[in-house]
Amino acid sequence: MLIQTFDLRKTYQMGHAEVHALRGVRLEVAHGEFVAIMGPSGSGKSTLLHLLGCLDRPSEGWYHLDGMTIESLHDAELSRLRNKRIGFVFQGFNLIPQHNVLENVELPLIYGGMERRNRRETSLEILHQVGLGEKISHKPTELSGGEAQRVAIARALVIRPLLLLADEPTGNLDSQTGEDIMKLFADLNRVGTTILMVTHNRDVAAHSARIIDMMDGRIVGDSKGTALVAQGLA
Amino acid sequence: MGTGLSRWSSSIRIGFRGLLLRKVRSLLSTLGIVFGVAAVISMMSIGEGARREAIEQIKLLGTNNIRIQQLSLMGERRLEAERRASRGLTYDDALLIRDTFPALVTVSPLKFVNTEVRFEGRQGIAQVIGTSPEYGEVTDFRVMRGRFIAPIDLLETKNVCVLGSEVKHELFGYRDALNAEIRIGDEWFTVVGVMEQKVIREGKAAAIKIRRINRDIYIPVTTAFRRFSSTGDPLGIQEIAVRVDQAENVSPIARLIQGMLKRSHRGVQDSQVMVPEELLAHAQQTQRIFNIVMGSIAGISLLVGGIGIMNIMLANVSERTREIGIRRAIGATKGDILAQFLVETVLICLAGGVIGILLGFGLAIAITRYATWETGFSFASVLIAFGTSASVGLIFGLFPARRAAHLDPVQALRFE
Repeated sequence: MLIQTFDLRKTYQMGHAEVHALRGVRLEVAHGEFVAIMGPSGSGKSTLLHLLGCLDRPSEGWYHLDGMTIESLHDAELSRLRNKRIGFVFQGFNLIPQHNVLENVELPLIYGGMERRNRRETSLEILHQVGLGEKISHKPTELSGGEAQRVAIARALVIRPLLLLADEPTGNLDSQTGEDIMKLFADLNRVGTTILMVTHNRDVAAHSARIIDMMDGRIVGDSKGTALVAQGLA
Repeated sequence: MGTGLSRWSSSIRIGFRGLLLRKVRSLLSTLGIVFGVAAVISMMSIGEGARREAIEQIKLLGTNNIRIQQLSLMGERRLEAERRASRGLTYDDALLIRDTFPALVTVSPLKFVNTEVRFEGRQGIAQVIGTSPEYGEVTDFRVMRGRFIAPIDLLETKNVCVLGSEVKHELFGYRDALNAEIRIGDEWFTVVGVMEQKVIREGKAAAIKIRRINRDIYIPVTTAFRRFSSTGDPLGIQEIAVRVDQAENVSPIARLIQGMLKRSHRGVQDSQVMVPEELLAHAQQTQRIFNIVMGSIAGISLLVGGIGIMNIMLANVSERTREIGIRRAIGATKGDILAQFLVETVLICLAGGVIGILLGFGLAIAITRYATWETGFSFASVLIAFGTSASVGLIFGLFPARRAAHLDPVQALRFE
């Protein structure tokens, strides 16, 4: 298993109130899966994505990523893990405005300490793969939404991640461009990339092989038959 | 280890991009640093100039020197001197000093003669001085051609003279002056030597007024007494130059001479004992006060500049919260973020430092030109300026950079 979580809980302190974003999530995802997580806003799907992406630590429960125990890692180790194993794609693209396309894609490799020549080669290769080989010196503001999202995907892929996490990747795109991005995801999945995607759009979710439904911090549905036992409801 | 280096160069490049992002703001935020550094640089240039000037003056007067000068007394003090029948500064005083410390000092009297100097109808602007053969040795002033006044000239009160380089040039041009006869007052004098040229720079900050010694004409002091004594004591002189063998003997001997003169002048204060090195030390004390004032201005300016930069960087950090979140998500550690913002702050400060250095030197040049103070360039001041601005960047950049580094990645990513 690539992802194994047990009784994952996350509680935030919002002023005096406690917010229970996750109320015990048990999830298993195998290598090479393409999973969509669905649910209304506030259902905890983004929080789950952040936990799975090692951006945050659970309040309770445990999480194993590729056999590693995440709760026990230090901040710097989590950074390194994100840098080497996890690719993020966000709804708002989240490119760094003062860097051009190539530099944005190179960034994870810079933090990973890769040599200049190597990282340039690797980045160019990925940019060609997502069809942006011609626009490497453009600034993010000079790109269309679809192009910007491709750059973001290239940045996520440049480290050859174990796990690609996407938070509403088509949310800011028109339906045609969104469709193109989903095709790109499907292609990536076909060559073995494990993808976990948060969306509230059924049509987008339909591209994935497995749909997980969330509600109030719990998983309430899983299209993968074997896992359909009402997890988290226990 | 190549990766470490590339990581640093990347940090610097990333930081630089951050600066260009807010050009005007970055520029304005450096103003405090600019003025602080400019103050440091101009202060050090002025200090360096004063130091060089002091060294030059010491050299010009001769090292290990004591000067005793006749004071012109006025009013009551003059009457007092007359009542006590003080002779004023005389050749006898010079001999007394010489004979009291025979092994320790070289003594030379100076009698200034106010008279005209002519050669072939041309008049020279010169100061005629009666002195002794030791003068050259005492003041480290050498003859370039011919010879200086010899003991025999004094014994026989000969009419011989040695010309300063400027006087020689004025009277003779490029012609040879040796053995020529020039007219000093109503007497004919034979030129027996020409002095070397001394470079004299006159600054307003000078601690000691220096005669334009290139315009001196030296004659035997005994000749001066015989031919040019009109008023006062027949052996009266205006100055005694004393050279002491060792630096540590200068001050004690100066005190002793002071005592001796008081006794020989019957308690009348008609001469002053001057130690150039002490005067210069005093001048440097004044310089130090100036330095403290300028240093404080620089310090306050740098402090204010640093706080300004910290303020700007804090604003930068909160505006770029999302960027920080993105960087954290793709694997930047807290250390990477810290380094990024620290490098950015240091770069701002260094840029301010460079502008400040240029401004400071500009100021120093302006001071040299308009205040005619001597200023000097010192490499150390550039290093200090760079060091200070980098330190200001490090110190005041640390807080914003730490704040950036400790942002929660999830929160930062949610930031709109």
